[in-house]
Amino acid sequence: MVSMRLLIIEDEKKTAAHLKKGLSENGFTVDVAHDGSEGSQLASAGAYALIVLDVMLPQQDGWSILGQLRGAGVMTPVLFLTARDRVEDRVKGLEMGADDYLVKPYAFSELLARVRTILRRGSTAQPEVLRIADLEIDTRRHKATRAGRNLHLTRREFVLLSCLARSAGEVVSRTRIVEEVWDINFDTGTNIVEATMRRLRAKVDDPFEMPLIHNVRGIGYVLESR
Amino acid sequence: MFAALDMSLNPVKSEAAPTWSQRRPWSLVARLAVFYTLATTALLLVTMAVLYGVVVRYSDANDNLFLNDKLRAVRADLAVKKANGGELLAEEVASETADYFVRVLDRRTGKVLAESPEMGKWLSPSVFPAPPPNGHIPEEGTEYKTSTGKWFLLMSAFAEIDRMMPRPVVLQIAQDRSDDKAFADFFRNLLLAVLVGGAGCSAAVAVVVARRALRPLEQMVATMKRVQASYLQPRLNRDRWPKELDSLAAAFDEMLARLKESFERLSAFSADLAHELRTPIQNLRGEAEVALTRTRTADEYREVIELSIEEYQGLANMIDNLLFLARAENAETPLNRLTFKIGPEIDTILDFYDAAAREQNIALSREGDADLYADAMLVRRAVSNLVSNALQHTSAGGQVLLAVKQANGSVEIRAQDTGCGIGAEHLPRIFNRFYRADAARSSNSGGVGLGLAIVKSIMDLHGGSVTADSKPGEGTMITLRFIQAEHVPQNDEHNRDSKPPG
Repeated sequence: MVSMRLLIIEDEKKTAAHLKKGLSENGFTVDVAHDGSEGSQLASAGAYALIVLDVMLPQQDGWSILGQLRGAGVMTPVLFLTARDRVEDRVKGLEMGADDYLVKPYAFSELLARVRTILRRGSTAQPEVLRIADLEIDTRRHKATRAGRNLHLTRREFVLLSCLARSAGEVVSRTRIVEEVWDINFDTGTNIVEATMRRLRAKVDDPFEMPLIHNVRGIGYVLESR
Repeated sequence: MFAALDMSLNPVKSEAAPTWSQRRPWSLVARLAVFYTLATTALLLVTMAVLYGVVVRYSDANDNLFLNDKLRAVRADLAVKKANGGELLAEEVASETADYFVRVLDRRTGKVLAESPEMGKWLSPSVFPAPPPNGHIPEEGTEYKTSTGKWFLLMSAFAEIDRMMPRPVVLQIAQDRSDDKAFADFFRNLLLAVLVGGAGCSAAVAVVVARRALRPLEQMVATMKRVQASYLQPRLNRDRWPKELDSLAAAFDEMLARLKESFERLSAFSADLAHELRTPIQNLRGEAEVALTRTRTADEYREVIELSIEEYQGLANMIDNLLFLARAENAETPLNRLTFKIGPEIDTILDFYDAAAREQNIALSREGDADLYADAMLVRRAVSNLVSNALQHTSAGGQVLLAVKQANGSVEIRAQDTGCGIGAEHLPRIFNRFYRADAARSSNSGGVGLGLAIVKSIMDLHGGSVTADSKPGEGTMITLRFIQAEHVPQNDEHNRDSKPPG
């Protein structure tokens, strides 16, 4: 796959640096603009697959840059980063044509997942049967087998495994898991997911030689054959 | 804390003031003085008008009566005179006192038969009114002003001389009223002067009195000016003020007391916040510094970084929770209320905690169900916090039960555990931010003591309530109560009664 070009418009140098580093290491070609005018110039000139845009910028804020780009017919997808998370702010960003919205402080894994989701959008739909090594997940019949053996998952365990499988090979953050599987988007205090994950692993991994579900400490879980 | 910040960041709303001040009402002193003066002047005016009227009228009536009397007496005298005694008549008339004038005219020829001395000088016969018919004597005379400015009261009547051989005559009688008139004028001017002077005096008095009456307000202002965020001590003390200002003083004092309490809560909260931030930051710093003191293996570095990510996550959660609380307090959190079955929502939460509860060997269950009109996400958040809390304080073999009950007009969700319980001294404060009944133990249970504060703020947003009952050693029961009465269909009693409970 040809590496995709991303543009980061972010005035905070440290943030820009770690974003560039993280995204580059994940196979993207990254350009950085440190202020609004430079950012909008680069955005209108270069062909980027996606723009990561900070809302609070000196001189020209993210919203006006977005307005300018959309006004000029540049329809590059935009992922907003902001420290403000009032509902009105979110709505404003999305109404102005942003594709997604992340509130600081966010997990880098979350950012990466969102970037990939936006870039994947419009491409082929997910297959009905997901395969990772000898694990097979039939999303239509709600059935998971490994090496041909039925795993006898509960409904919730199946949803959890599918969630990991859809992003196989990528770290899925705990926050995202909790949100996708239980529709809980608030802080639940302690690491409750861990216990559920242990039960899932007891069915998916323990009876087999090669574990597929891996804990990425402090971040989340990844489903892959290593 | 955030509420105060928001207040200070908002532009002060004084922009609306200028338009308002254009129609600024009169000053209180001016108002009081004007009304008082008007009232006093009106009273004076009425009194004096009455006085003037009475005095002048009295003197007028007196004079009329006098002339009428005289006319009667002179006519009676004439009736017994000889018809031809002209000389005698003149003598008679002239001898009358000078305070009135008499004239006798021949009725047919109009010739003057006799008149008082000097009468002709001021009063010709033609200025008198015509005598009333039938020999009546007029009740009231006619006023007449001579060219020289003298005032007279005039009367005339028919009469006859010598009853035996009657000779018809006209009798004219006049009284000099110049002195009376002068007195009336003087009296009127005097009264006007008194009126003007009185009004002026009363205005001056009114201003002084009003200023004096309003002086307590200035003193109040002086006291209020001494109030600052750092100095909330000044009090107006209601007993010091006139009765009318009593409630103002009391309200001000109460406001100060509330402000003081808020400020104290705020500063206690800031101190707590700083304290709560210290621990994770100390951990992060310590881990990193120790890691850097010597060269380590990649795995060791990895572990440090992983630990720090957990701390960061904790910090981020704390910030989210604090922001949630701050917004809930300012009522900035919009409620997306709708009616839903609470049972399945609780089940989802219990499902989420199920694995953890099994590992701890704690039984998680729910009983009852109800329709609830509320913000589903917030209710789930509250329930989640209750379950999380209960699991943290319940030991192996225990149980956590969530019971839903529909009582008249409200829905209750109870979280009951068989945990360690909360001491009575802690119960009233467990809903405070950062409050932990047992600081030592909860530090490794993950929370920072915001969970129940969030539960309370969620209940406040819904206009509901949260209460806690606990027996140390036996367990804790926390009850969420949602008032539902206003959303029951109003015009359908039957439907409401037949609705299954739960």
